[in-house]
Amino acid sequence: MSEVLQKETMLSYIDGKVEPKGTSISIRAINERGREELESTPFPTRKDEDWRFIDLKSITKNTFVSVEEAGTEEVGDISNHFLPEAMNTRLVFVNGIYNEELSSISDLPNGVIVGNLADNTDHDSVKSHLGTITNYENDVFAPFNDAAFSDGTFIHVPEETVVEAPIHILNVFTDAEKAFYATPRLLYVGEMFSKSTIIEEHIGLSNNVYLNVPVTEFKMFTGSNVHHARIQRDSKQASHVSRPIAMLDKNAEYHSYTICLGAKLFRNEPRVIQNSEEVDFTVDGLVLIDGDQIADTHSIMDHRYAHGKSHQLHKCVVNDSAHSIFNGKIFVAKDAQKIDSFQENRNLLLSEEGKVNTKPQLEIFADDVLCSHGATIGQLQDEEVFYLQSRGLTEQKSRELLVYAFALESVESMEVESVEKLLLDEVIKYTNRDDK
Amino acid sequence: MLEIKNLHAVVEGEDIEILKGVNLKVNAGEIHAIMGPNGSGKSTLSKVVSGHPEYEVTEGQILFEGEDITELDADERAHLGLFLAFQYPVEVPGITNKTLLREAYNTIARANEREELDPLEFEDYLESKLDVIEMKDEFLSRSINTGFSGGEKKKNEIFQMAVLDPKLSFLDETDSGLDIDALKIVSDGVNKIAGPEKAMVLITHYQRLLNYIKPDFVHIMMGGKIIKTGDFSLAEQLEAHGYDELQKEFSLNGAQ
Repeated sequence: MSEVLQKETMLSYIDGKVEPKGTSISIRAINERGREELESTPFPTRKDEDWRFIDLKSITKNTFVSVEEAGTEEVGDISNHFLPEAMNTRLVFVNGIYNEELSSISDLPNGVIVGNLADNTDHDSVKSHLGTITNYENDVFAPFNDAAFSDGTFIHVPEETVVEAPIHILNVFTDAEKAFYATPRLLYVGEMFSKSTIIEEHIGLSNNVYLNVPVTEFKMFTGSNVHHARIQRDSKQASHVSRPIAMLDKNAEYHSYTICLGAKLFRNEPRVIQNSEEVDFTVDGLVLIDGDQIADTHSIMDHRYAHGKSHQLHKCVVNDSAHSIFNGKIFVAKDAQKIDSFQENRNLLLSEEGKVNTKPQLEIFADDVLCSHGATIGQLQDEEVFYLQSRGLTEQKSRELLVYAFALESVESMEVESVEKLLLDEVIKYTNRDDK
Repeated sequence: MLEIKNLHAVVEGEDIEILKGVNLKVNAGEIHAIMGPNGSGKSTLSKVVSGHPEYEVTEGQILFEGEDITELDADERAHLGLFLAFQYPVEVPGITNKTLLREAYNTIARANEREELDPLEFEDYLESKLDVIEMKDEFLSRSINTGFSGGEKKKNEIFQMAVLDPKLSFLDETDSGLDIDALKIVSDGVNKIAGPEKAMVLITHYQRLLNYIKPDFVHIMMGGKIIKTGDFSLAEQLEAHGYDELQKEFSLNGAQ
């Protein structure tokens, strides 16, 4: 049985061929490379250390077709998902396909490009960096994106340029007759001392089955700075496997915050690679799951040079029979002295059936570093609930407030007001369910 | 107002009885003090009366204004007008004092079919209560008890009591850990809140609180029971001779 499983590839779960679709030479080359890797790489099973805890049934029990064959519904009015701060800095992708009408880009500082990849394949930055930053070994998902994408987001911020308005990359997914796959792609190139805020959002408009496999690549030159918020609100039937990766040159700062609310299966593998000295980065996460949702974060903070600073606060709230998994790797190379790295995973378990696996993993080969980590799994403290209840709050309301308070810290790091507000609403929705 | 009849209680799921037949009657306008050595069951009594789920009442009754509240949840008791000032106020990071108090105030108002206050009205109402305990208004926007000093936490309990305006309050060792200045402020606050419609039960180990808040009755609790009741002179007697003498007397009576 297991031998048969070993031979499955990603293509086993795809109906039809994943043919190179890129219209430019550079994208086609990546398509072909991805296709080759896909054919030769077995689909992960629970025998693989990094996939030990996760049930991939949501993917393997389905066969996904391309969006073109899926019979997708029209998108309709989605203006309620537009951010007031980003009314002129928004790109919209519907089921992974660029939608120019719903997008709105104007008033950008001189030289800044926020556009779709297919229209920018001649840009030097696309030629030099697209597909060069991802380095997921024995992986089937990044190669799947490589093989299948033909468009995506391209953001280029020139030297010494600051984009004040947050850039909103809105991926929406509609209902469809068949389960389909989408491969959103994003390339960000921040030149020396540039700065911007990216809000990457994934929203399922219906409750259908689809497979969302985004790859985002951030190339950060000397002194550049990015605040990257990722909000995953996919359909509760969807599977979402993402590969966000950032490569940091000297003095670069990259702060990412991933919020997981949707999807039946979420596997997130953020990686930040220190490519020079004195960088500063954040890989925070907030997971709020219930029902039979699975949310798995496997992150790597890869310190390869001296004088880096990094921070990871990963918080999970788990209700019903949901399952949260965290594996946070901190690598510090032999000569990477004076690294200051901090990792904390805090889990709040609200039900008897919920499950949490957590595994901090520090591999440190330098001897003069400051690295700390901690993981906690807890329930709401009875004393806290009683304290609030003794003031007159119902038990339900007391628990809601405490969960809200637990999540608040992560929400407050969004820095964009409308995003904080929408997340607070989501937290209230999560804690204030009908079945109380 | 409050009548406790032959109250027995255990820690939920355990056999060890902590309250072994407590009887106590508190009328409106009265201030009672319950004194006793560590482990006598004083704090447990206050928790059981306010509905802590950790304890199970195995025998007896708690009546509040004639209604049997023995089986009510803590929030339902609060709605009726009961309040517990905690010995160890709980830190709740992420929720401000203001948020908690508005939620609590309005929940109690709803339960009693009184009008709720909107955020602005509530703000004014809160401001008007700050004086009771000489509290700075920056406290309102801080997370509940988070990073507060021991004294600040105790003051915050009395402030909450002032805002929620309960009929009957249990103050569980509110004096412990307070320096003399803080003790005066806290006692002043309690005295301002006290009145003919209210009742207070002060639980304390020492007499010093009672120098500032004069009780009408003093009860001595030992071994899970109230073994002696008297007036203020009983507290003075205790302060002079300690609990040992009483303990002897108690044992000689063969009550334990």
